[in-house]
Amino acid sequence: MLSRRALIYLGERLVLVAFTAVAVSSIVFLGVHQLPGNAFLSDRRIDPVALQAIMHHYHLDLSLFDQYKLFVSGILRGDLGESLVNRGIPITPLLLREATVSLEVGAAALIFTIGLGMVLGVIAAIKQNSWIDYLATATSVVGYSMPNFVIATVLVLIFAVYLYNWSGGAIYYEIGWNGTYGTLGQISIPAFALGFPYASIVARLTRASMLEVLRQDYIRTAKAKGLSDRIVIIRHALRNALIPVVTILGPLTIGIITGSVVIENVFGIPGLGKEFVQSILSRDYNIVIGVFTFYALAIGLANLLVDFLYTAIDPRIRY
Amino acid sequence: MATAPGVATPEEYVGDTLAREQTSLWADAWRRLRRNRLALVSTFILLLLVVVAIVSAFWTPFPIWRQSVGPTYDPPSLHHLLGTDQRGRDIFSRLMVGAQVSLQVGVGTQIIVAALGITVGLLAGYFRGWLDGIISTIINIFYGIPDLLVALILVLLLGRGLDKIIFAIAVTRWMDMARLVRGQTFALREREFVEAARASGTRPNKILSRHILPNALGPIIVQATFGVPQAILFEAFLSFLGLGVQPPTPSWGAMAADGFHALRIAPHIVLVPAIALSLTLMAFNFLGDGLRDALDPRQKR
Repeated sequence: MLSRRALIYLGERLVLVAFTAVAVSSIVFLGVHQLPGNAFLSDRRIDPVALQAIMHHYHLDLSLFDQYKLFVSGILRGDLGESLVNRGIPITPLLLREATVSLEVGAAALIFTIGLGMVLGVIAAIKQNSWIDYLATATSVVGYSMPNFVIATVLVLIFAVYLYNWSGGAIYYEIGWNGTYGTLGQISIPAFALGFPYASIVARLTRASMLEVLRQDYIRTAKAKGLSDRIVIIRHALRNALIPVVTILGPLTIGIITGSVVIENVFGIPGLGKEFVQSILSRDYNIVIGVFTFYALAIGLANLLVDFLYTAIDPRIRY
Repeated sequence: MATAPGVATPEEYVGDTLAREQTSLWADAWRRLRRNRLALVSTFILLLLVVVAIVSAFWTPFPIWRQSVGPTYDPPSLHHLLGTDQRGRDIFSRLMVGAQVSLQVGVGTQIIVAALGITVGLLAGYFRGWLDGIISTIINIFYGIPDLLVALILVLLLGRGLDKIIFAIAVTRWMDMARLVRGQTFALREREFVEAARASGTRPNKILSRHILPNALGPIIVQATFGVPQAILFEAFLSFLGLGVQPPTPSWGAMAADGFHALRIAPHIVLVPAIALSLTLMAFNFLGDGLRDALDPRQKR
């Protein structure tokens, strides 16, 4: 159970997360408003009176300061305004729905990353300098050096093109989702593409810290008192080897968020990342700001979660 | 070892070895690097890449801008070594010029990153106190932002020139270098030779440039080597999304994106730049690994 102190700490951190999100979106807001032109100016058929009405509707006729005040008061109520391109569509519900899709794929990628990375890392550490170790190490360098869009493209080629041709169109991966949420089969391949580069980083890290831990005296003690290798590794070694792995969970989350921008576009997943690129290309700046706000919130919450994980794994760490 | 226990850093072992073998750090590192076959192959690949990039500035088999120099979506053949793309442009020629773009981005960003990161790191590590507090806070804030997406917004704000992309990537990726130099400076400033320099009245800027920086050069070079592929990856990412260098400049990321819709009929359009990109990144990463082991053999993992 959480102690009183932990609850206070949690509260403080949540306030900080909210503050960061507002700060980040403010910076993007101010930056984006320096850009010349807006989504309406490319619309040549628009007549001046209608344009005036639209500008008024989106408060674009106000001074930057007044616009900013409206923006901040909106964001504090959870209202991110309306889309500039699909006029009248409120952004918050739209992004919330897309965020759940991204979360679904991102969580699958994260589980895959940590699972595969740790298994590879542990095997490489136990069988140090064997062919398994070299294979795991080589795999991790390859994974680290392949841009995720390359991995994604190769996977599309294999599962959507070659598998289709080979099976005569019976089994294949279909790009693009029909409904909002994907099936397990639809999620697995994007999640693999998204997680693979990071799995190799986790593997490298796990291997290094496992090697470090396995040399410790208490491991020898555990073995000396007759515990089986499996119990020594899982209960004694792995738990301590996990600490450095937890450290990179924060950067990992950021990596998966940025990676999802590419992956969602390649696989046609209707998530935040796809929306982000589309809204930049169509100059729907309200959505750009909104997506950034969501990302800032997600990163803040992920970092918070990581800090709590620390204390769960390493009882020496306190708030 | 002459130093007190607890202050010993891995670098001191390098110094120790050197004292026995009477070779310079660099000659020693080069000897070790030569024994690393992966790093040698990587160096060779990268040298080849540099040659290709230079040659492409003067000569390419076909003019890269011209469309319909061959049929569209043509697979690799003797006439077009790597085939043609959706506009009938020669992929081999475009790949050559793409090497220029990647190398410019990779090396260009690392020059800015080195200049910024070394300065900031030296100052924070040497003077400590409130200056270090401010710098460390800024570094931590930058670590908390999604770097690629901020770079993306910056490119949007600044425009899509190559120089602006280099700037945008450097601004979001300078922290690793700053943190490394800060840590090195932190350790080095406590060493006797720095203390001796300080005691003899050497000015801080001279201590930093003559005593601390040269001793931190090894890890800095390793860090910069690892930074290059990251920057190349960033540029490819931006170009793949259609937000990188202005077309028709051939960037490997953009070339891969161009062919994506035709994956079914002409996979080579995507695969060629994708393989080039992966090979380059891998070569830089292996070279970085090799350099780290060569310059700092104690750290070998």
